[in-house]
Amino acid sequence: MTSNIHTYQAAPSRTRPGQTVDPITTEIIRHSLNSAANQMKRALIRTAYSPVIYDVYDFAAAIYDSELRLLAQAPSLPLFMGTLNFCIEAAVEAVGGIERLGPGDILLYNVPFGTGSHPQDATMVMPVFLEDGTLAGYTAIKAHWLDLGAKEPYCTDTVDVFQEGTIFPGVKLFSAGEIVDDIFRMVLANTRLPKAAAGDIKAQAIGCRVGAEALARVVARFGKPLFDRSVEHMFDHGERVVRSYFETIPDGRYVARGNMDNNGVDTQSIPFEIIVEVSGSDVTVDYSDCPGSQRGPINCPLPTTVSASLIAISMLAGANESPCDGHFRPLKVVTRVDSLFHAVSPSPCFLYAWPAMQAIDVIYRALSDAMPNAVPASSGGDVCALLWWGVREKTGEAWATGSPHPIGQGASAHGDGATLSHVSESATRFAPAEVWESKSPWLIERVELITDSCGAGRYRGGLGISFHFTMLEDTYVTTAVERTQLPPWGLMGGQEGHANGVRYRRAGEPMGEIFGKVTGLKLHKGDSLELLTGGGGGYGAPEERDPRAVHEDIRNGYTSEDHARRHYPHAFAA
Amino acid sequence: MANRFGIDIGGTFTDFVYYDDGTGEITVAKVPTTPSAPEQGCLNAVEIALTPEQVAGTEWFLHGTTVGLNALLQRRGAVVGLLATEGFRDVLELRRGDRVEMYNLFWTPPPPLVPRHLRLPVRGRIRTDGEIHRPIALEDVRVAAETFRREGVTSVAIAFLNAYANPEHELAAEQALREAGFNGAITLSHKVSGEYREYERTTTSVIDAFVSERMSTYLNRLQGELRDRGFGGSPLIMRSGSGAMTFDEACTRSFETIMSGPVAGAEGAGELSRRLGLGDLVTADVGGTSFDTCLIANGRPQLMFEGEVIGLPVQTPWVDVRSIGSGGGSIAHIDVGGLLSVGPQSAGAEPGPACYGRGGIEPTMTDAACVLGMLGSGELASGLVLDRALASTALQRVGDRLSLDVEGTARGIMALSAAAMANAIREITIEQGVDPRTLKLLAFGGAGPLMGCLLADELEIPTVVVPPHAGNFSAWGLLAADLTRTKARTRIMRLDEDAIPQVNLLLDGMFGELEARDGTATELEASLDIRLVGQDNSLNIAVPLDQGRLTASTDQLTGWFADSYERTFGLRPDEAMEIVSVRVTSRTPLPQRQHIPLAREDADTGPEKTLPAYSFRLKRTTEFAIRNRDDLPVGEPVSGPAIITEPTTTTYVDAGWTITVDAAACLILTTDEAQS
Repeated sequence: MTSNIHTYQAAPSRTRPGQTVDPITTEIIRHSLNSAANQMKRALIRTAYSPVIYDVYDFAAAIYDSELRLLAQAPSLPLFMGTLNFCIEAAVEAVGGIERLGPGDILLYNVPFGTGSHPQDATMVMPVFLEDGTLAGYTAIKAHWLDLGAKEPYCTDTVDVFQEGTIFPGVKLFSAGEIVDDIFRMVLANTRLPKAAAGDIKAQAIGCRVGAEALARVVARFGKPLFDRSVEHMFDHGERVVRSYFETIPDGRYVARGNMDNNGVDTQSIPFEIIVEVSGSDVTVDYSDCPGSQRGPINCPLPTTVSASLIAISMLAGANESPCDGHFRPLKVVTRVDSLFHAVSPSPCFLYAWPAMQAIDVIYRALSDAMPNAVPASSGGDVCALLWWGVREKTGEAWATGSPHPIGQGASAHGDGATLSHVSESATRFAPAEVWESKSPWLIERVELITDSCGAGRYRGGLGISFHFTMLEDTYVTTAVERTQLPPWGLMGGQEGHANGVRYRRAGEPMGEIFGKVTGLKLHKGDSLELLTGGGGGYGAPEERDPRAVHEDIRNGYTSEDHARRHYPHAFAA
Repeated sequence: MANRFGIDIGGTFTDFVYYDDGTGEITVAKVPTTPSAPEQGCLNAVEIALTPEQVAGTEWFLHGTTVGLNALLQRRGAVVGLLATEGFRDVLELRRGDRVEMYNLFWTPPPPLVPRHLRLPVRGRIRTDGEIHRPIALEDVRVAAETFRREGVTSVAIAFLNAYANPEHELAAEQALREAGFNGAITLSHKVSGEYREYERTTTSVIDAFVSERMSTYLNRLQGELRDRGFGGSPLIMRSGSGAMTFDEACTRSFETIMSGPVAGAEGAGELSRRLGLGDLVTADVGGTSFDTCLIANGRPQLMFEGEVIGLPVQTPWVDVRSIGSGGGSIAHIDVGGLLSVGPQSAGAEPGPACYGRGGIEPTMTDAACVLGMLGSGELASGLVLDRALASTALQRVGDRLSLDVEGTARGIMALSAAAMANAIREITIEQGVDPRTLKLLAFGGAGPLMGCLLADELEIPTVVVPPHAGNFSAWGLLAADLTRTKARTRIMRLDEDAIPQVNLLLDGMFGELEARDGTATELEASLDIRLVGQDNSLNIAVPLDQGRLTASTDQLTGWFADSYERTFGLRPDEAMEIVSVRVTSRTPLPQRQHIPLAREDADTGPEKTLPAYSFRLKRTTEFAIRNRDDLPVGEPVSGPAIITEPTTTTYVDAGWTITVDAAACLILTTDEAQS
């Protein structure tokens, strides 16, 4: 069995003792690289066709050095943090190595086990060459395409990866700057939304090129030797920042459990365990005890398991700094090959992100034993995604839209939880009701905080939201909602919040039962669907809550008087 | 006669510029900003710079202020109540769900400007097409009025869903609120903005309700004080979206003035570009606290139709000025991982940089420039002489921890600052698809001309322009403002033959409303937001008008959109298009100024004086010619290295740059050869 265990860790520092580098040059290079990644992001957002890219920020744009170490990544989707090296490596290997690539080439790669995602997350990889032909590094953008030919535009019930979309295993989409028409036509022939794919391909290529030019400019300006030395120094600096934080975590072995509602195909729930081990300034996140690969699409490929670990840890320790490879050095990720957190072909993985999102919460739960002040209680723990499509009555036009939805955040030693998107998609914005109504045949009856949905505590959790849609035309919906059975836990005596849930009502009938996942549910004109996003867990014992805060919450209708009297009797003492 | 003065309040200094229409003469002054009572700084400047006769003879006063902004920053405003559509009272609090500091686990949005118990639901619903889905329940408004009275609400915002498509319910609610006895200010969302996106429109309405009282009080007090000093002209305030509005209008539409400060420099840059034919520019406005940059294309600052302030969206035209916390007062420090970092903390005007000798001990960018000799002898117009020893001591404290000497630390601070500013310029230009190397750099503000050559070298920009009165250029920019009013309306419709009469109907109504705000005759402009059917993002296309009506055909509109789309996205679209919003502007230019001040023809080179300073190009200290700006000859190239002094700023000209004074008294710096 041990041969099945896989360990991932960033390459260690290779600065030799006594090697000195000008700290100012290092800082200028660091900022220039971050700015270069930002320029990639700006160019992508400016030119992208799909709102899932320019509004939801469902992409990653990053720059790597020639040894696949992360130089800079633009702030976008945290769950895509720091792991494009897997797909760069796989894509370059697929075409026969870097010697087979030249300036202006861009590879298309979307093998889920290399990208870490479903096939819709298409990655474009561009090698960056200096004028003398030396390889300076790579730019890469992974972005969610609206459709790449899965059995439905969005699925919760696939049983192998081949039902999930067309796979491009590292192919030249651009050769010497020119689009390769054969491949391009293959892509367009395999999507329900070819316009969107064409537009987003163009945008991704522009983004890769902007980053490549910026990287080449920085390297050329300082010269490769000085650049390389400074980059080592930059990595060391990042490592020091993270280690200085990790040293504050008491050594120990911390374990916490999570629970997936089901795998999308079968009904039973799937408990799993994550172990976090801290020793000095080294942290290991161990997933090797998790259940094996699932029949339904909740298998998470290795790169995203690594990303989830990185983002959980970076958000604790990163001091709000943009990450580079050095930040990741103190972290080790252990997985078991062919398991829930290390999917291999042909395991279905359309909902790969859902176990990863929960893993972030579970890592915090584990660390709460060691440092309860440094982590929040559990959030609703999910992005609560709804994907809608149909054909408009009047015009006969096909339409599709979708969105994640905010949840109540866990409370922490810093105070009450807010209502925000899950940390794995922390930059994501959901669309205003007026925009939605202008393009989709619904009436949105309600987007409102749910009274009493928060966990009680010295600090209470954030409230969940009720989204209530009434259909004005027949519509299909896929609901990708997890954590309907495992309510967000509290910390330090704080109480649980409400779990996520979806329910619907046929016209004229009462509301149905709560559920989480369904693919392609047909709603008729007049039917309603309600999404109830979870509340956050509370922090600290409720009896420690300031009575003034209890009454303020009643006044604002965040909690009812009943709820308050039940959880905070001390606030009503005569 | 069209004498006018402009006053721009910055974070550190309040800048003043007076233009005498008879002579074309310009008078400038610079005084410290007085944050607790900003009008005091304004009055100080007027008293220093003008005689009572000049004040009395002034026809226009143009103002850029941060009063609205500060009211928001300090959250000192009215007690606001909000009436919202039932089911949507939490729009303000839910925002769009995003985490502004995305890597900060504990980030929490600031509390909404209206607490939940003052956000009250009203039954009634308008559909997306403006149809009434459920009639309004006015008893809900009456109940709310009672709560507002009890809670001491002085200002109410009414923002109903889809009110942009049909304002009936908002108007009915306003009337019911008045009938119920509420006599405070009422802001209606459809009057603030005719565009969709309820979070943005509601927030803008609430911002208006929150700041209007404070803004009116300030503007009335300032106007009163100026009147007492004999000012009989018209006071105007800069709008966030370029152009100016009267104080009276600003009292009822305060939300339009939130960014009036930083916009002035961009407005001036646009004016300069148009009048001197400078072409496309990018600005580098460096003050005491911040660096502001803006792209000027086709003679106008880039305009957005939504701004942002303290993390809140403002749905109103907004000049795209980007700021980073990097200025003359920015403090250098060592970060957690042991690297040197500059800003965003600033030493401000008090105590100011260490070299001011007013008790500052932390090293700032100004201290670095002082030690490197980039500020020449260091004598400021105010009579203050920079103390190089104090600057060295401050720099030493940081340098010791990096094993760097004082000069190395100073060079590092300048290089880091220049790199951060250059990155900001790259990002703002790349976003527009513009290569910064094709632009000229317009450097102004107290420390802009100091940074011009460094920034240009970073960005490979071959030309730097330093305008006259560069240190007070923002205030000068105010003088360029036209009186403008704008309005926008979202109405989604297919771009076909039927669209043109519909747009004309909208235009009639919208221009009518603008005229009702103030009846003066004006130039009318309009533009359309157009997009492909199925897409969310639109492009703004300016359209020609005749007597306020569209003169373009459907084919022309389609063609213009396709051109613009191809420029932006690199693809020529062939699918159906739709109009999303119609935008209109009415513009009343102030009387044209006679001329941009001419350079003196009789300038004399004077005796050569030099001082040692550090050259970033030569990477060593060398002798720099020290020149008074007024003494430079017109049209005769002078070679760098040189340091050009004038009362409110200092221009650093590195080796390898040539200075030419053009006929309009701009310093034109050109690089001798492309830098490797």
